[in-house]
Formats: sequence, structure tokens, C-alpha cells
Amino acid sequence: MLMPGFLRYDFMQNAFIATTLIALMGSLVGYFVVLRRQAFGSHALSNIGFAGAAGASLIGAEPMLGLLVFVLGAALLMAWTGRHVGERDISVGMILMFSLGLGALFVNLYSANANAAIGILFGSVFGIDASQIRWITITSLVVLAGLVALFRPLRFASLNPDAARARGIPVSLIDTLFLLLLGAASAIAVPVIGALLSFAIFIGPASAAQAWSGRVGMGLALTALLALGEAMGGLILSYYANLPASSCIAGLSFGIYALSRLTRVASRRCVAG
Amino acid sequence: MTDNALVRALDITAGKSTTSVFEALSFEISPGSFTALVGPNGAGKTSLFDTLLGLVALRAGTLTVMGGRPCHARRRIAYVPQVSRLLHDDALVGREFVSAAYQSHRWGMPLPSGRRQQLQAVDAALETVDARDLARRRLSTLSGGQRQRLLIAQALVNEPRLILLDEPLSQLDPAARDRIVSVANALTRRGIAVIFSTHDINPVLPVCDQVLYLAGGRGRAGSVDEIICDRTLSELYGTPMRVIIEGGRRFVFEGSQRRLQAVGQC
Repeated sequence: MLMPGFLRYDFMQNAFIATTLIALMGSLVGYFVVLRRQAFGSHALSNIGFAGAAGASLIGAEPMLGLLVFVLGAALLMAWTGRHVGERDISVGMILMFSLGLGALFVNLYSANANAAIGILFGSVFGIDASQIRWITITSLVVLAGLVALFRPLRFASLNPDAARARGIPVSLIDTLFLLLLGAASAIAVPVIGALLSFAIFIGPASAAQAWSGRVGMGLALTALLALGEAMGGLILSYYANLPASSCIAGLSFGIYALSRLTRVASRRCVAG
Repeated sequence: MTDNALVRALDITAGKSTTSVFEALSFEISPGSFTALVGPNGAGKTSLFDTLLGLVALRAGTLTVMGGRPCHARRRIAYVPQVSRLLHDDALVGREFVSAAYQSHRWGMPLPSGRRQQLQAVDAALETVDARDLARRRLSTLSGGQRQRLLIAQALVNEPRLILLDEPLSQLDPAARDRIVSVANALTRRGIAVIFSTHDINPVLPVCDQVLYLAGGRGRAGSVDEIICDRTLSELYGTPMRVIIEGGRRFVFEGSQRRLQAVGQC
């Protein structure tokens, strides 16, 4: 069978399936995160998961469960505090700060397994087993179905919340549901790409796509393509160059984002000149 | 009383449990009419909009919107917020911003079969506000007046019968102001009723059919001459007020004739 050498191994196959699903789900949720200017909230949600996983390890529970509980709890808390973006920035920062403090405490108390904590902060793409693949598949399908269901009211409420509320759209409910989708996506992505690096999938491709296209449909398609390219490219690069996969994905994501900014600046110059 | 009024308010009082924003306000809005909603900041202009949309409960009086309760008419009313309330609009081009409102109350993604209708609705809305040239431009590159026109186009895609414009002239230069007023006036010729909130009546004087003036927790509706005059405004503000008409424009001053001479310079 014609297959690239790196796909001979089970762990590589699992890594490819997991990153494909996470890249698609994470980047498409991320498109709306960028549209809504909630990047800081997205970053915070990923890192809050770290405290949950460390806490679950400490009491002998499944780390994934702790991660999920913490992230969804934080998503609800964020939806409940501050409606205005400015207010929300501060409350998000405070929730993030508190949970990182908790995470540090849990790791300190459970020093036997500091490696697991590092794994959550930076991800371990090549350590994914079949049961994780199942969870990643289910979560991705649920999150993508949720995005499709919310699409029209979410798009309008993101752009013009006052007019949406006047039209009878339940804007607060949509805010909360969206944060829960983002929380679920973050929780499932964190063990794979790492809490600190989830920006690479959630924010990088979407902001590059929005720099290149001012249309929603085109922007979403571009986001998914860029995210898939960056994730696959990162894995292959990591295999051949023998570098950490997360670093490769983060590097590609940053490179594409920088390129998108540069071309935007160049095209503005053209228009101005 | 006309039979086909879109809005019929009789002695309505709105506000929180202890303080009322306005009391015993009565007015009517007919199809295709232009109503200027005037008053100082904090007089309750936005609260009145919320009341019409059924977002705020009445404390007293009866309010009928399109023959029923306000919350049942929401789909036929479009609320246009101030441009400064938009926080995340700059990533998209004009056409995408406008079409985001199309059938936005429905769940799910739009079906490909409805695409033609959507394109037509968006084109018509852009045409009405004279913004075809903004369809492909990013909002981040547009002026306040251009964004305001796109906001009105966004309100039009769902074919409302009543449009509530919240301070559309704030932060605009005179030329942009005139353009927004003429766009709003064009809507009335299509049979859409417009309630236009502004703290300065003068830009809308040539086009407005009635004035709804809110001040001091009270409100009165009537023609420009009935409302923007010494007697009515003095009653509303609860203190002597003077109205000067100069070159077709009306200037409102606080105080008696003698004090007026002191402030009349400005």
C-alpha cells in the first residue's frame, strides 16, 4: 500500500486523526472567537484546564474529567460575569490567575507526577490512545453540530448584539452556549496540543483568514484549510526534523499569521499610495 | 385616532420599580411617518425604544404595537443602535455585515436554496441606503456615516414596518448628518415608519411629521409647533423655557426673557 513512511506507526496514525479533528473543530470555533474578540477568553479557558487536570490527578480521578469540569465551569462563570468586553477582560484574567495558582498548588502537592503537568501545558500529540481518539471524535462532532445549529443567531449577535436582542434573539443564552462549545473544544484539545499552545489552532488560522477575507463563508473555509495545513505540516516536520510536534505547529501558525499581517499592511499601502 | 396606527401608546409609564423614566406618555405612530424622538441625555429615549420592543415591562398604561403586545411585533421592528456600540464589526466587508441580519432569528445555517432571496434582500437594502459602493469594502476602512448607512441597511433586510434609529447623528459631521436624514426620509416613502432619536431637532425639522419630546420624566407628542414652543417645553422641564426661531431653525434656551439675553449669544 502506498503510504508515507511516518504513517506506518499506530502512534503516528492516532496523532494524525487527533490533530485533524482538533484542527477542524478548534479553528472553526476559533473563527467566531476572533470575530467576537474573545481570544483572551479562549486562551484562559485552555489554561484553566491545566488546574483541573492537576487537581484530578491529586485526588486520584481521571485528569480528563477534572479538565472538563474546570473548563466548563470557567466558561459558565465567564458568561455570567460582565457583559461588556472591557469588564470581561478583567474578570477573565482574574479567573485565569486564580486557577493557575490552584494548578501550581496541585502540582506542588502531587510532585510525584510533574511530567503529567508538563504534558498538559505543552501537549503530547504522540501519546494519544484509542480511547482518546473516541472522545476527540465525539466532542468534535458535538462542537461542530453546535456551531452549525447556532450559526445564524451567533453571527448576528456577534456583530450587532443590541439589534439582535431587539429582534428577540436570546443573546445571553447564545453567549453562554458559545462559551460552552469553546470550553468543550479547549478541554479536548489541551491534552493533545497543550494548554499554552492551543492559541496556535484556535486563534492563529482564524485571524490569518480574517486578514485575507472579509466574507464569512470564505473566511471559515480558509480557516479550516490553514488549520489543517498547519497541523499536518507540523506533524510531518516534527517527524522528520525530530522536533516537538507542538513547537512545529506553533511555529507554522505564527509564520502564517505574520505573513497575513504583512500582506494586509502591504495591500493597505497599495490602496493608500 | 387613526385606525391603522402601528403603535398606540396611552398613558404609558416605564421605569424601574422606584423611579420612572417617563410617566403618562401618549402617542401614535402611523405607517410611513417620521417621528423625531427628542430630549436631553438620560431622558429615556432608549428606554422608550426598549418599551416598544417589549424588552422593558410597562408600569402603567396600555401599549399596542401592530395590533398586539409589543413582544409579538419584534420581528417587524428593527432597532438600529449607535455606531459606537458596535465593537467587533471591522473584520467583514459591507455586504457580509448587512447579510448577517437576514433571518438571523432562525437556528442553523442558511440553506443553499434560499441564497437567491438573500442576495436580493441584501442588494435591495444596500440600494435603499445608497451603499452599493460599500458592499465590498471592509468596515474598518469606513467613516461613521458610512457605517451608519450599513447599519440601516442591516435593519432593512428583514423588511420591517417600523425602524427605531438610536441617535444616528451623534458624532457625524453636517454633510454625513444630512445624508442620514435623507436616507431615513426615503424609508418613510417606502411605507416604513421611522422613529428617529436625536438631541437636536434641527437636522430633522424639514422631514419630521411629529415630535415626541421627553424631558424631566414627562413626555409629549405633537407637531413641531405644538411641542417646540415656550409653553410645552416649560411644562416638560418644569422651569421656564424659551424657543427662538431663527432661519427656520429652533433654538431652546432655559430661563426667562431677561436671562436669555445673557445666553443668547451662543
